[in-house]
Amino acid sequence: MVKLTVNGKEVDVPAGTTILHAASAAGFSIPTFCYNPRMDPAGSCRICAVELEDSKRTVMGCITQVTEGMKVLTESSKVHEARKTNLELLLLHHPLDCPVCDCGGECPLQNMSFSYGGTDSRFESHRNDEPEDMKSEVLVFNSNRCILCGKCVRICDEIQDVHAIGFINRGFDTIIGPPLGKKLDCEFCGDCLEVCPTGAITDRFVRYQFRPWQMEKTETTCTSCSSGCRMVVDTENESIVRISSREGLGPNEGSICVVGRFGFNGVQSKSRLEAPHVKKAQRLVPSTWDEVLPELSTKLSAIISRGEGRVAGLASSRLPLEDAFLFQRFMRQVLKTNFLDSEARQGFMNMALPLVSATGSLRPMVDHEDIVKADLIVVLGADPAVESNITGLAIKKAVRKNRAALYLVHGRDVSISSRAREVIRLAPGYEAVFLRTLRETLSSGTNDLSSEVRVRLDGWGVNPDAFLRLVSDVKSSKRTIFVTGRRFHRSDAAFEASHELIRLMGERGLFASEGSGLFVLPESGNDLGVLMMGASFEWLPGLLETKNSEQRSVWENHWNTKLPSGGGGLREILGGIESGEIRALISFGVDPLRFLPDSAGVRKILSKLELIVVADLFQGPLADMAHYVLPAASSFERTGHMVSAEGFVQPLAPAMAPWGNALSEGNMILRLAAQMGCPLPFDSIEAVSAEIFRIFPDLRPSTRNASYFQGKTGEILLSIPRSQPPHKAERESVNSRMTDFLKQTPHPIAAPVVGDEVTKGENTFVMTLSKSINHAGTQTLLDSNLMTIEGEGFLRVPRQWARKMKLKKGACVSVSTSHGRISLPIDPVSGMAEGEVHFPFHFADARFMELFPGKVSFNAHSGAQSGQTIDVKVEPIA
Amino acid sequence: MAHNDNAATLNITDEEIDHICEEFGNREGAVVQILQTIQDKYGYVPAEVLERVGEDLGIPHSKMFGVLTFYSQFYREPRGKFILKVCVGTACHVRGAGLLVDKIKENLHIEEGENTEDMMFTLEPVSCLGSCALAPMAMVNGNTYGKLSGDKMVSLLKEFREESAGAPETEASPAS
Repeated sequence: MVKLTVNGKEVDVPAGTTILHAASAAGFSIPTFCYNPRMDPAGSCRICAVELEDSKRTVMGCITQVTEGMKVLTESSKVHEARKTNLELLLLHHPLDCPVCDCGGECPLQNMSFSYGGTDSRFESHRNDEPEDMKSEVLVFNSNRCILCGKCVRICDEIQDVHAIGFINRGFDTIIGPPLGKKLDCEFCGDCLEVCPTGAITDRFVRYQFRPWQMEKTETTCTSCSSGCRMVVDTENESIVRISSREGLGPNEGSICVVGRFGFNGVQSKSRLEAPHVKKAQRLVPSTWDEVLPELSTKLSAIISRGEGRVAGLASSRLPLEDAFLFQRFMRQVLKTNFLDSEARQGFMNMALPLVSATGSLRPMVDHEDIVKADLIVVLGADPAVESNITGLAIKKAVRKNRAALYLVHGRDVSISSRAREVIRLAPGYEAVFLRTLRETLSSGTNDLSSEVRVRLDGWGVNPDAFLRLVSDVKSSKRTIFVTGRRFHRSDAAFEASHELIRLMGERGLFASEGSGLFVLPESGNDLGVLMMGASFEWLPGLLETKNSEQRSVWENHWNTKLPSGGGGLREILGGIESGEIRALISFGVDPLRFLPDSAGVRKILSKLELIVVADLFQGPLADMAHYVLPAASSFERTGHMVSAEGFVQPLAPAMAPWGNALSEGNMILRLAAQMGCPLPFDSIEAVSAEIFRIFPDLRPSTRNASYFQGKTGEILLSIPRSQPPHKAERESVNSRMTDFLKQTPHPIAAPVVGDEVTKGENTFVMTLSKSINHAGTQTLLDSNLMTIEGEGFLRVPRQWARKMKLKKGACVSVSTSHGRISLPIDPVSGMAEGEVHFPFHFADARFMELFPGKVSFNAHSGAQSGQTIDVKVEPIA
Repeated sequence: MAHNDNAATLNITDEEIDHICEEFGNREGAVVQILQTIQDKYGYVPAEVLERVGEDLGIPHSKMFGVLTFYSQFYREPRGKFILKVCVGTACHVRGAGLLVDKIKENLHIEEGENTEDMMFTLEPVSCLGSCALAPMAMVNGNTYGKLSGDKMVSLLKEFREESAGAPETEASPAS
């Protein structure tokens, strides 16, 4: 420890601490421009000058380390003089165009000038007047206002690891921008915009449309993916102007991705549903809640009077905990049915089912901080930076800062590939057999592979030597984290592969040892929470099994009602509708016509229903068929809580009033249940939250980097007194469950679980559907900002193939299977396995579903939709 | 500035760049030397090779561009076969360097920093070259020419042209 004084106050800090941190420990803040706690200090802006009493000079607080007996003055006249001079120099060429600058009013440079700067300058100099760089549709670079603190360049390098911008030229001529004077080409996270202490980088979508002091700020949670980013929504007159974050805020530490930052236009677009609609003479006509609810109530009551299991319900994974809780209770208690399912069924369920049966919990045992500290990170079928951007940042940081060994098991390069020690190519569908081979090799104790295994690995596209390096790294690593994502969860063999992975991890003791574990990337904002609340036919709230009468009775007693068992998920619901048993379908934001193949066949099945009710933000294919379409509130218009991939339970705060007459799903359910004469005992969503947190104390709200949550008016909503990380599952209980799980015989794998053998013929590829970094789901296609960034789906093809066929980006190819043929524009990319192509699933207009077999297939064990990859023939269009 | 069609026909292969980088062990620290070698070979650093060098050395493209633009020694545009570095330092200035520059401009129809249409010459006035005793002087492709006058300069230019026409085409020359 080093002892020093700051402004006469004595303070002890560890050796190596900078003056800035020591001063902060002593309770004094030093102003900074270029400093950001997430990045290495640069010392370039020199505004953090402090005086050292004995050395009669000023030093930079952010880069100078403390020494024994140092006497630091942070606000002496000499310090003020130094800061004033520095500001004078920083403003030497600055245009001082604050009246027309977006940053004016929230500009650190402006604020600092107000605090320390003088009113005149001793220097004569010209004001910079270079034209702005307007090449990018997203960000505008104004070099005149730039003070070259380098924060934007460093956050792009050190945090995002994207390296899109850099310093160009030298001395007075230095500017910041993308290389070669080209258009900015990056992930458009906008972190550079966020950290810029001047108006040098501005947001082109909202330029000149706001003054910072006129906007109302609401801190809330992003629901676009499972990262659980905390963000600040700026509104004016009940409309969202922009979304930003704050240094160090939330689990995302102030970073948000392109969808979170720019994707707020869809929810305030003209296509939002404003009023309840009812079908009259084959047409949906606007109506009112007072008219619709009694009608709906009568129709539903008539249907449920015919017996149990006559209604089916689907819930979107974007529903907060409260709404998911009400959804399942409404279905079970009021509509007397156990035919209910959520979007998690599309893939995540393949992991959730084995995980719950093995560990009893869906809560992760590791979080992003553990990822950063891990020795070994094995990413299985995931593109973390795209699926959960902040997890991607954590992985990049682990590799860059702590030299973690990163293995990527995937069919193609993803954004983190270049940081991987080894990219193991694995054809889709072979995940289960791959993991079994890995598990058996690990437990066999040998360090070599038999020729038979080598041949097998080869056949799956796996390089045996890379495989052996993975084996040896898993053996030697002390902190191992496995990450699984969309491709893994949606593979045909996903359920079996998850079983294998959990067994492998159990055998290696990875659930027991601190810092090791499984980090699952759910696809939607609240997959975890929706399942924890029992929005699936298998589970009641708290993951109690519906088919287990003892567990069911826990809720039966609590709710004082008899609960239906049996029922089923999407597969059984479709079956039930076809057989005529199920007469009504209520969908809260789930549209099977968008993601199931053979939409004509599915449409035919659905047309047998007496009643279809759709609650959603927008009109869609299912809503077109519906008898009642109810306008739902977006995540910006409601309260509730979301569970992030890390297991944090974070609140939503309404930033604007509900769109038109929209209601949150929870409020619709409360009103409908009351109308049907079976009111649920809650008068508000807040009352539901209270009930959930009372029953599940370990689901109390929690986040990182915040000691409290603030509401719209700034009042503290809930304090978090816990010292334990509340977002992590109890290792002890997980472990005792694991012991039992490992005693069971391994789950059988139909070897190998894939649709077809991977064909390696000319122009034949395996096509997978991938997630784009610029979109989330299909509704972001209604967002003008995100569509500006990525407005068209391109079939990503291997560059070497495109070169061979003499095809350039944008060229149209014909993609065909025995079921259909479509044409798609291509984008040749490097780093793809030779036999693979992929297409962003958001762009449904490309009609790629027509390529899939006419019959929907499901995984036999999890009921998840299978057959989501397909062999296609890709040919140039002559 | 005169446009040069040769840039497009330069046709540098990735393998050539890889080879240069390998000579320096693909070391990140050798980036300046590698760029110098490329410039020596091609006369300038073409934009197309920058990304490849970055990939070979593991340096992001944005950083490569930063290095390239930081040093004034690197050229991003093609340059003439003969670089006329005319000294305009103090000693040369008082002995008529300005007239020398004017003569070249008049003779070749180019301004400072420009190339001739045929990509033969580039005029590049420089500050002191350290040979003040020879003032006014110039350095052309590494050779020093002292005690110059306008007429001497004009005949020198003629010599260079003849030399170029007579000499067989060398690989090192991007222009012909």
